[in-house]
Amino acid sequence: MVKVKKNLFVVMMLVLSMFLYACSSGEEESASGEGKVTLDFWVFGATNYEDLAKEYEKENPNVKINIKNSELGDHHDSLFTSISAGTGAPDLTMIEVDQLDRYREAQDRFVNLYDLGADEIQDQYLDWKWQMAENGEGDFLFGLPTDIGPKAMYFHTEVFEEAGLPTDPDKVSEMISTPDQFADAATTVLEKTGKPMVDSMEMAFRANMDALEVSYFNRDGELLIGEADNGVKEAYDYAVELHDKGVVGSFEMWTPEWANALNQGGFAVEMAPAWLKGYMTENAPEGAGKWRVTTLPTDFAGNWGGSYVAIPSETKHSEEAYKFAKWMLSPENQLESFVESGLFPSAPEVYEMEEFVNNSDEYFGGQNTAAYFAEAAKEIPEVYKGPKYVTVNNEVLTALRNVQEGADPKEEWEAAVKRIEGLVSR
Amino acid sequence: MESVQKRQQASKVKKSTTQMSEKKKDMLSGYLYIAPFFIIFGIIGLYPAVFSIVLAFQDWNGLGEMDFVGLSNFVVVLQDPLFWKSLYNTVIIGLMGTAPQLVVGIILAYFLNMAVIRFTNFFRVTIFMPYITSMVAVALVFGVFFSSSETALANYVIGLFGMDPVSWKTSEWGAKIAISLMVFWRWVGYNTIIYLAGLQSIPKDLYEAATIDGAGKVQQFLHITIPMLKPFIILTVFMSTVGALQLFAEPAVFLGSSAFNRDEAMTVVMYLYRDAFNLGSFGTASATAVLLLIIIVGAAALNTWLTSGVGRKQKRRAFTK
Amino acid sequence: MRKSKGLKKGTLPVYIILWIASILSIFPFYWMFVMATRPSAAYNSIPPTLLPGDQLVENFMKVLDTIPFFQAMWNTILLCTTVTLAVLLISSLAGFAFAKFEFPGKNFFFILILLTMVIPPQLGLIPQFYLVSQLGWLDTLLGAGVLFLLNPLGIFLMRQYISESVPDELMEAAKLDGCSNFRIFRSIVLPIIKPAFATLGIIVFTLVWGEFLWQFTVLRDPASYTLQVALASLNNAFRVDFGMLLSGVFWATVPLIIIFLIFNRWFISSITEGSIK
Repeated sequence: MVKVKKNLFVVMMLVLSMFLYACSSGEEESASGEGKVTLDFWVFGATNYEDLAKEYEKENPNVKINIKNSELGDHHDSLFTSISAGTGAPDLTMIEVDQLDRYREAQDRFVNLYDLGADEIQDQYLDWKWQMAENGEGDFLFGLPTDIGPKAMYFHTEVFEEAGLPTDPDKVSEMISTPDQFADAATTVLEKTGKPMVDSMEMAFRANMDALEVSYFNRDGELLIGEADNGVKEAYDYAVELHDKGVVGSFEMWTPEWANALNQGGFAVEMAPAWLKGYMTENAPEGAGKWRVTTLPTDFAGNWGGSYVAIPSETKHSEEAYKFAKWMLSPENQLESFVESGLFPSAPEVYEMEEFVNNSDEYFGGQNTAAYFAEAAKEIPEVYKGPKYVTVNNEVLTALRNVQEGADPKEEWEAAVKRIEGLVSR
Repeated sequence: MESVQKRQQASKVKKSTTQMSEKKKDMLSGYLYIAPFFIIFGIIGLYPAVFSIVLAFQDWNGLGEMDFVGLSNFVVVLQDPLFWKSLYNTVIIGLMGTAPQLVVGIILAYFLNMAVIRFTNFFRVTIFMPYITSMVAVALVFGVFFSSSETALANYVIGLFGMDPVSWKTSEWGAKIAISLMVFWRWVGYNTIIYLAGLQSIPKDLYEAATIDGAGKVQQFLHITIPMLKPFIILTVFMSTVGALQLFAEPAVFLGSSAFNRDEAMTVVMYLYRDAFNLGSFGTASATAVLLLIIIVGAAALNTWLTSGVGRKQKRRAFTK
Repeated sequence: MRKSKGLKKGTLPVYIILWIASILSIFPFYWMFVMATRPSAAYNSIPPTLLPGDQLVENFMKVLDTIPFFQAMWNTILLCTTVTLAVLLISSLAGFAFAKFEFPGKNFFFILILLTMVIPPQLGLIPQFYLVSQLGWLDTLLGAGVLFLLNPLGIFLMRQYISESVPDELMEAAKLDGCSNFRIFRSIVLPIIKPAFATLGIIVFTLVWGEFLWQFTVLRDPASYTLQVALASLNNAFRVDFGMLLSGVFWATVPLIIIFLIFNRWFISSITEGSIK
């Protein structure tokens, strides 16, 4: 009888020990290697940061960098969980610009990079980009700038040709230099080719949206959308206007149908940052040589996307983490990130560098596309988005989609404003 | 440690076991054997549950300080038309997606358990396959089949019946039907397997006796199979009720990026998830969770009661046989 | 069972229904396999491509280049096996207690267990994460697995199975022979409930294999990644390669099917032996 019990006891111990084994395998690392610092670094999207980390490890043998790469949404959810629980955050993390504002009231959960001497490298970066990572008083810095998303106009040469429009980038930007001219060109494209000018309502809306210095909220968190001079309504109206002309397609971004349209020139124009290039080369191989890049009308010049690297205050190695971030985001390494992954530099001196100036893009028929983005980068205003920006913006996008499906624009706008007011009062 | 206790117990009682101490021994064993579940629940399950209930009365954005606000979170939620819309969606999708599952599940399990049917091994594997397929894959596949494009598979199929293409992700009924189908497809095999396990716990001699008594297959199914299967039916009804009211993953991944800002298929859990993680309003999210908890307990109790009412008499007969 | 050459009379409709159910069940899976053998752009072709292409190996090599696939698979197998064994042990013990012993509060405890299913898991994420990280279980399989140890379904299934298939007379006889409850569990109950073990085991194993949100939140060190967490990094909006993605998803499912087949067999053999009465 005792023997039988022993058997079961053995099974239970086996189960337990497997757990403990699994448990210890994780903890080994922090214990191993006296004086060796391990930095956990969370990144999202397509970056070359893993390669840069390896390079840094070689130069600094006492530092080990663990990179966790995930998809944008998962990345920020996971980060929020850790920051909220006050435990389990990494030593360094990327934060996307639209997500940054929600952490502003949790300033104490992050290391003030000014305390680590960040003011010394401030001149290296674009002012607007830098200021967006400061708190209202300007004495706290959440993160160092990684890439930015200055927007330019991608156009499909075959569609333009068919519509009888110029295909030389400079001539295109000359011809389309105001929103009205853009709308006229769109009508021409539609009449001659039957194709829409832009892919989706979101794109049409973003044309003006990304150029706004102030959108839904002011820095005190007050909702501005009901006010007469608020720019969101204008952006909305412009999108509706384009829709009424019939020049807006229904290719939602990131869907297979959209990728297909990119591939085959299903619409004429994409108003997007440099990072779209990477997506196009991967997913629209047949578009090679057919797309070109040029400057957007100045009214549309804006920023879409880009990130920061922040250091959660839980870390025990803030100095080392900062040193690595500073190195990784130096102008030289930003050039490398640009060449490798299309991350557009936030350090303007890169724009003068040999490799950048002589950059030529095979996918764009050998055009030097970087120059157009660099030009756009300098004209971007500092923008405040507010902690609930993403959700609030989604409500307007919903309204626009409904308009596309036949709803009344005015009613949809009013309904969206009402929903937004409800959301903000939460 | 367990064995030591037991050994002491055993030596104390020895052979001259009285009726009383035998009962005590069983009692002790009973508590001992259910203890692991409750110990683990105490470690990992209890705190989050209590935390959620406390949060329902606080204003908290996940980062800052908590403020006690009394019942106002409940007022906000109950006055929000979107909450009621999401509850309505949840119930509709739940009914369309899970109720047919249970019926189909029993039938399939019964077929798979028939001695005369061959290749049951093969059928069992294939029918269970959807449950094995990961959520990512299901979302990708259904996303393509139910795309709003006119040439998408779903639109092609309904086109054969002379129907116009439907925008499956953005129309009121299109989204609900697509998600219900996905839920049905993914879980019907799972329920079939549970019923199969139930069928196999039915003693074979019951059927033998019935055959001798001259009962036909249909009679056997109604008077032996269904009553004997009843605990399993109650279980699956209970689980499906809970699962349907907690529906989250299927609609969220099917709708993708627009999941949290459209209302055609927003479920209650999506509503509360959006409150917490997109809007930073953990108070109202927790209040919604508490409301949902009450709804689930009510619905599960009702459904369980309804199901156990069915065929009560037969069951007693089957047992007393 | 008698083997006949043709179909037994009247079984044709049953076969037809089973075939339809089978085909509908595996079609999406088959389509996934087709995509895994084709270049990325095939995803865009509508209506769906139905015949396999020639890039099976190529797509899978891309997966291997991008994520530590086999390491993740090993972690997943370890995690699923441990959790499954633990759930089987916990559930069968508790199920045995609920089925065969009388103790005060029995029904109360049983209902309490079922009630634990009612809490929506999404909301518990932050407090649960807090607990696990305070316990030092981040990046460990213990942290990733501990939530799944709570399985009310398992306890229910076991209670039901044991109460129906373990005869009380057998237990009483064993007790008269001086067997302890534990010995009865070990040498009478366990052998009888093998088929229930196969069912519950497969359900739990699959559940843990496919879960993403919790594992993603707890496992942050790539060395500790499970398959779903590793696969998620293939699904990157800026670099979608559907051929590669579906190849990863497909090959991550194959071991599960093999495991299912193995246990399914065992499950069936123990039934046809007629060991349960």
